Amino acid sequence: MLRSEFDREEDYVAATVAPRGLFLKYDCGVTANIRPRQSGMKKLLIANRGEIAVRIIRSARVMGLRTVAVYSDADVNAAHVAMADEAYPIGPPEPAQSYLNMLAILDAARIAGADAIHPGYGFLSERPEFAQAVAAAGFTFVGPPAEVMAALGDKLAARQIAVKADVPVVPGIDSSDLSTTRSFGARVGYPILAKAAAGGGGRGMRVVESAEQLESALEAAAREAQAAFGDGRVFLEKYLARPRHVEIQILGDNHGKVIALGERECSIQRRHQKIIEESPAPGLSEQVRARMVEAALRLAQAAGYRNAGTAEFLVDGNDFYFLEVNARLQVEHPITELRFDRDLVCDQIAIAEGARVSDPIVPHGAAIECRVNAEDAAHDFRPAVGPVAHLALPSGPGVRVDTHLAAGAEVSPYYDSLIAKVITWGQDRELARKRMVAALDEFSVLGPHTSAAFLRDVIASEPFARADLSTRFLPEFFPTWKLSDDKQKIALLAAALMGSTASAKMSGSDGREGARRETTPAARSPWVGLGHFEPWERR
Amino acid sequence: MKLRPAGEQKVFEVEILDRKNDAIRARIDGEEISAVLENRAGRLALKVGDQSVRVNVVRGRNAILVAVGPAQFEFAPIEASGRRRAQGLSAQEITAPLPGKVLKILVEENQVVEHGAPLIVLEAMKMETTLAAESRAVIAKIRAEVGAMVDHGAVLIELSPPPADSSAT
Repeated sequence: MLRSEFDREEDYVAATVAPRGLFLKYDCGVTANIRPRQSGMKKLLIANRGEIAVRIIRSARVMGLRTVAVYSDADVNAAHVAMADEAYPIGPPEPAQSYLNMLAILDAARIAGADAIHPGYGFLSERPEFAQAVAAAGFTFVGPPAEVMAALGDKLAARQIAVKADVPVVPGIDSSDLSTTRSFGARVGYPILAKAAAGGGGRGMRVVESAEQLESALEAAAREAQAAFGDGRVFLEKYLARPRHVEIQILGDNHGKVIALGERECSIQRRHQKIIEESPAPGLSEQVRARMVEAALRLAQAAGYRNAGTAEFLVDGNDFYFLEVNARLQVEHPITELRFDRDLVCDQIAIAEGARVSDPIVPHGAAIECRVNAEDAAHDFRPAVGPVAHLALPSGPGVRVDTHLAAGAEVSPYYDSLIAKVITWGQDRELARKRMVAALDEFSVLGPHTSAAFLRDVIASEPFARADLSTRFLPEFFPTWKLSDDKQKIALLAAALMGSTASAKMSGSDGREGARRETTPAARSPWVGLGHFEPWERR
Repeated sequence: MKLRPAGEQKVFEVEILDRKNDAIRARIDGEEISAVLENRAGRLALKVGDQSVRVNVVRGRNAILVAVGPAQFEFAPIEASGRRRAQGLSAQEITAPLPGKVLKILVEENQVVEHGAPLIVLEAMKMETTLAAESRAVIAKIRAEVGAMVDHGAVLIELSPPPADSSAT
């Protein structure tokens, strides 16, 4: 370090004696070769909400950073706001006016005196213009550089990079012109898949079953793409009947080194949204795995990739096809963390500070993640919202829960329905699976419906136990699902025990709620005395 | 007490026949079951046969919510409401099942719609939800506007009974 790098003598002294000195070793396994201060961060703004904002705050804190939350009017009482060192309002509940509002977020960063911004996943995380604006405003962006994101975030451009890097891709065309798409459909055969060029997370994708559906499907896909990403471009791909979805985690530093952290199997999807992920991918041959890792590394090198990213592939027998690169942290990153003993958010921050990425350990054991959504699984997965009256979360050996939920919190209609990720680890898949069943049995929410009971039945099922995995898993094995009659009987009994005290009053009442609630004789209900009786209103 | 699971037609008749301390005898739809209420460290469980399940209940304005392990059941206590049935309508209005934005209105006033006909499309949580007619009916009044944000329970469409000679046309 040179004195000439600093304007003032005291800055130089402070920098050289700073506790975060040269060759800092973070506990996430990254040896950070950082010049103290000027390049090292002190305060990180998290441009996101929900479980991922909470997750990032935790790692930032471990690294000694101060944390800044931003929040919309719907998130005043949200967990990430309570947890951060500082928090700034950025606008109305609608994402377009708050979590997608670049100017408001950059203003918050300026006011807070933050020096770096982590975008999380979703929202602005894969918008090159945001990465660009963050850098232009003088902040460090914790993610890939804007130009890499622009090249890889666009699915069409990413395909071209893949082809050049000798990575196999699914047959497809980058046109939504009707006659071109018709002839493509005729050539490769239906069904085909219409995808948003700017899409991700399974949104803006539609299966087109026949030539007749083509026009309306293209329109719908373009409309959804425009609404969700502000970019209505759509392209088409051959739809593989029973593929598996397997992805490779990559980490690249600013010094040209890229490593791969194994694979994640994400085949269990509902409407193209992943709901259960695991690592390693069961039954994937060592040879195919190695070829996929090599392909992902070639791709990352070709694109000049930096920071955390994921190369997604469809696997069909021993063949695999490149799908897309997600130029951000993935929702399902914890299963990789558990097998590789790493904290990927720490890795991201260290890389953004200029650290060299360290070689991975040999992965151990197996990990599974279940995404618990606020949805009524028994009624076509209808989105559920409202206040949480009661919450019980699992814990124990090999069990991790990433959530922003708490009793009294409100599940908002404005944002993604993910409310918790339950992650389990075991020496082998079977132990991880058994731990997951037990963990989901402990998971209980009263208020908005959740998909926890559905996930529990899937994990406990025989097809999942023998890992008969494909992206068709749910339509094949769980075309419909309902709560068991035995459980319903118990629930009816419990409701009647609760209601037996109140029902006399109800039948005699004039129907006005206020009067009814006040005068309900609660004394005999078993739940009342223990504080489990809570007045609850669905809003 | 009569309980109807949310979103379903079937109504269950549940009677508590006898309760001595924690031993409960009840009849659910004519079938008798015995259960033991267990209180373990402040948590309640119902034991039926040799299976003990953790249970939680909260009571709302129009619903009783019961958590049985990770599963949540929602019941509506039934009060007599003869008018709807008499008119042959399963519902007199279409209400928003969740807060969201009105994306599309697929019907017009005075239109006759069949059971299952899509009426209105809402967007919430980035998902499109289509609300359909629960029975044959006439669209009496459209109260929703395309692009408007609606709250949970907001009346979107009012329905009236279908014309008597339904099988004509």
